[in-house]
Amino acid sequence: VKHVSSTTPASLPKQEVEEIAPEIVESMSSVPKPAVGRVVLPATCTIHEARALQAHLLEQLDKPGPCEIDGGAVQQVDTAGVQLVLAFALDCLERNLPYTWKSRSPVLEEAIRVLGVGALLEYPA
Amino acid sequence: MTLDLAQFHETFFAESFEALDSMEAALLKLSAGDADLELVNTIFRVAHSIKGGSATFGFSDVAAFTHTLETLLDQMRSGKRRVDSALVDTLLRSGDLMREMLAATQAKQPLDKGKVASLHAEIELIMATPGHSTMPAPSASSAATPAAPSAPAMLEPGEARSGWRIHFVPGPKLLRNGNDPLRLLRELATLAPCEIRVDAKWIPPLGELDPEECRLAWRIEVNGAVKESAIKSVFDWVDGECDLNLEPFGPAADATVMMPALKLPAGVEFEAPSPAPSPVAAPAAPPTAVTPVAPAMQAPSVEEPAAKPAASSASAAPAAASGDGGSIRVSIEKVDELLNSVGELVITQSVLSQLAAPLEGRDAEQLRNALVQLERHMRALQESVMRVRMLPINVVFNRFPRLVRDLGQKLGKKIELRLTGDTTELDKTVLEKIGDPLVHLVRNAIDHGIETPEVRLAAGKPAHGIIELNAYHKGGNVVVEVSDDGGGLRREKILAKARERGLVSGDEELSEERVFNLIFAPGFSTADVVSDVSGRGVGMDVVKRNINELGGHVQIHSTPGKGSMVRIRLPLTLAILDGQLARVGSEVYVVPIVSIVETIQVRQELVSSIAARAQVFRLRDDYLPIVRLYDLFGVEPQHTDLLDGLLMIVEADGTRVGLFVDELMSQQQVVIKSLETNFRPVVGLAGATMLGDGRVALILDIPGVIARYQSRREPVQVAA
Repeated sequence: VKHVSSTTPASLPKQEVEEIAPEIVESMSSVPKPAVGRVVLPATCTIHEARALQAHLLEQLDKPGPCEIDGGAVQQVDTAGVQLVLAFALDCLERNLPYTWKSRSPVLEEAIRVLGVGALLEYPA
Repeated sequence: MTLDLAQFHETFFAESFEALDSMEAALLKLSAGDADLELVNTIFRVAHSIKGGSATFGFSDVAAFTHTLETLLDQMRSGKRRVDSALVDTLLRSGDLMREMLAATQAKQPLDKGKVASLHAEIELIMATPGHSTMPAPSASSAATPAAPSAPAMLEPGEARSGWRIHFVPGPKLLRNGNDPLRLLRELATLAPCEIRVDAKWIPPLGELDPEECRLAWRIEVNGAVKESAIKSVFDWVDGECDLNLEPFGPAADATVMMPALKLPAGVEFEAPSPAPSPVAAPAAPPTAVTPVAPAMQAPSVEEPAAKPAASSASAAPAAASGDGGSIRVSIEKVDELLNSVGELVITQSVLSQLAAPLEGRDAEQLRNALVQLERHMRALQESVMRVRMLPINVVFNRFPRLVRDLGQKLGKKIELRLTGDTTELDKTVLEKIGDPLVHLVRNAIDHGIETPEVRLAAGKPAHGIIELNAYHKGGNVVVEVSDDGGGLRREKILAKARERGLVSGDEELSEERVFNLIFAPGFSTADVVSDVSGRGVGMDVVKRNINELGGHVQIHSTPGKGSMVRIRLPLTLAILDGQLARVGSEVYVVPIVSIVETIQVRQELVSSIAARAQVFRLRDDYLPIVRLYDLFGVEPQHTDLLDGLLMIVEADGTRVGLFVDELMSQQQVVIKSLETNFRPVVGLAGATMLGDGRVALILDIPGVIARYQSRREPVQVAA
C-alpha cells in the first residue's frame, strides 16, 4: 500500500497518482473555466413573445464566454421563435462564443426537426 | 410590437362564410355515385382553408371538427367513398354546423358542444364503415391523427422514387399575417416523407432581425407520388404571401411541366438585403441544413451539412405581381363615402352648369363645352363607383338549391329549381334586403304552389314540379321573377277568405290583380293546414313591405292549374333615383318616376267633391282621390284651383291617387340624401337632394304620401 499525502501530489509521477486517486489528476489537468452563461428559453416561444425573447438573447450575446441554452421548458414554439434562436446561434458562431444545449423539450425538438434547422443549431466541435 | 392576430379575425370569418356558401353550392351539385373530382376538390379546399385558419387563430373546436370532416372528404377525393344522398346530407349539415361554430366564435358565444360532438361522432362512424369501395376505409382513430400520412394523397406507394421538389420562400409579411411555415411543413410531412433543407443565409445579425419577419426559406423534397393538388392545398392559405415553386421528379416527371410560381404581393422582393453572416469559424456549418422529416417520425433527426449552398436568391426572385386580376376587400363604408363624394361633385357640376348658362361670349361658350365634358366624365365616374357596390344576384340565388332540396324532401315533393340571370347585378344593400322576401316567396311556392307528385300526375303534369327564379335588367330596374308550375292561386278561395276576414265587403267586385294582392294582407292565409313551412299568413305582408321599402313593386300573375309568378321590380340602387321634379309654390319635390303612371290636366266635369273637402276625379273607369301636396306638407301653393295645375297619377301597392302640383319641371337623376341620417324620418318623404341651383328638394315616398293622406281623412267613399 502506497501512502500518498494530499499535500505532495506533485512529487509523485502522474501515472502513479492516476492509479491511486484519479479525481486528483482531473483537478490537476483542468484549467480554470470562465463563468458559464445560461439562456433559458421560456415556455412559450412564439411570435407573440418574439421581441422579449430577442431582447433576452441579445443580453446574453453581450456577455463574454460560453453559454448554455436550456430549451427544456418550451411548450409552444413557432417559426418566429426558432428563427430567433437560430439567429442567436449564428451570432455566437460569428463571435466565437461557444454554446451547448442543456436540454430541448420534445416540442422544441420536433419544431427544429420539421424546420430543418437542427444542424445549424449545433455549435461545431 | 406584438402581433395581434385578432385584427385578421373579421377577414377570416367573412372569407369562411363565403367559402361555406361555395361549399354548399358544390355539395348540392354532387350527384350520387362516383364523386365529381372537381366538386369534391372545391369542397375539400373550403374545409382545408377553414381548418388552417381556425388552427392559426386558435379556434380549436372549429379546427378539430373541420379536420375530421376533411378526412372524410379526402376519402371521397381518393375514390374510396362513393357519394350518396345520406353522405351529402351529412356534409350539408356539417357545413351548417361549421357556419354556426364560426358565427358563435365570431360573436364570442359558447358553442353547442353537444351538437358538435354528435355530428363529429356521426362523421367518424361513416369513416369507420366501408365506403362502397374496394379500398379499405381508414379507421375512425386514424382520422384524429393528423401526422399520419394521408394515404389518399399518394398515388402508387410502390412506385420508383419520385416526388416533388419544392422551393418555398415566405414573404416578409407571412408570419405577421398569422401564418406559420412550421405548420405548413408539418402538414406537408403528413403527405409523404420529406427531406427539408433550410436556407438561413438571409438571416441578419440578431440585433437587426425583425422577429416578426420570416427570413428563412426552404427546399423540400417530397418523396412519394403525391398529387400536385394535395401539395398546393397545403399552401392554399399562404397563396400570394410566398414564392412557391413545385417541380416533379422521378419517372412521372418527364411529362410534367413546372408549376407556375405563386404570385407575390406587389412590391415584395426576395433579394437578400444584406449578405448572410459568414461563419468565421472554419468548421462551422454553412447556414443551410437538411433534415429528412417523416410523418410522425420520433427518431432523432439525421442532420448533415448541405453539400452546397442553396440556390442564389436570383432564382427565387419572383416577378412582381401586377395586374393579376385579383380583388381587394374594402369596407362598404369606404365605398359609400366615395359615392357620397361623387354625389356632391355631381351637384357642384350641376351648379356650375346653371351658373354658366346665362353667360355670353366666346369664353362662355368654351366654358359650357368644358362643362358638358365634365358632366360626361362625372356621369362615367358616378356609374363606376355605383358598379363597385353592385353584386351579382347569385349571392342571393345560391341559397335556394339547398332550400328547395330540403323543403322538397320534407314535404314529399319533387322539385326542380331553375335559376336564370343569376349574374344580373344590383346594389349590395338592395341585394341584402331582397334575400328574405325571396325566401318567403320560394317557400310559399314549394308549400302552396307545387303539388305532390300524385296530384300532379293525376292532373296530367310531370311528377317533378318546377320553380324558376329569373332576374334581368329592364329600364333601369332589376326584375326578379319567382314562378312555379303548380296549382296557381285560387281566386274564389282568396276572395272567400278575404270576405270572411272583413277585408272585402260582401258584394264588392275586385279585379284579378286586387284579389291576388290580398295575399299580401297581414295575417292572410288560405292554407287549410298550418305547417312550419308556411300557412300562418306571416311573411307575405313582410315581403311586400320590404320590397316597398326598397322602392320596388310586386305583381302577381297566376293561372289556375298552371302556376303562379310573382314579379318584383327593384331599383338598381338606393343611392340614385330617377325623378320627376314638380313645383308646388316655391318648393320643388322629386317624384320617383317608377311611381308615376301619367300626368293629366284636370277637366272640371271629371272632379267630384265629397265630404270633408275631399275630392276625387274620374280617370276612365276609376275614381281617384286628389292629394293636394301643398295641403299635405303645409306649403304656400301658386295655384289652388285644380284647373290651373296638373295632376300626377301615381301608384303604390295597387292604390292610385292624383297628386296636385303647380307645374312639372325637368326629369333628372338625383343623389338621395337620407333624411333619417341627416334630420329625422318624415312620413311621405324618402329623402332629400340638392338641385343644380343649390336648393334642397324633398323626394316623395309615394306609399308614405298615400298613407299620410289616408291618415288625415276618413276612407274616401265615392259618391254614387
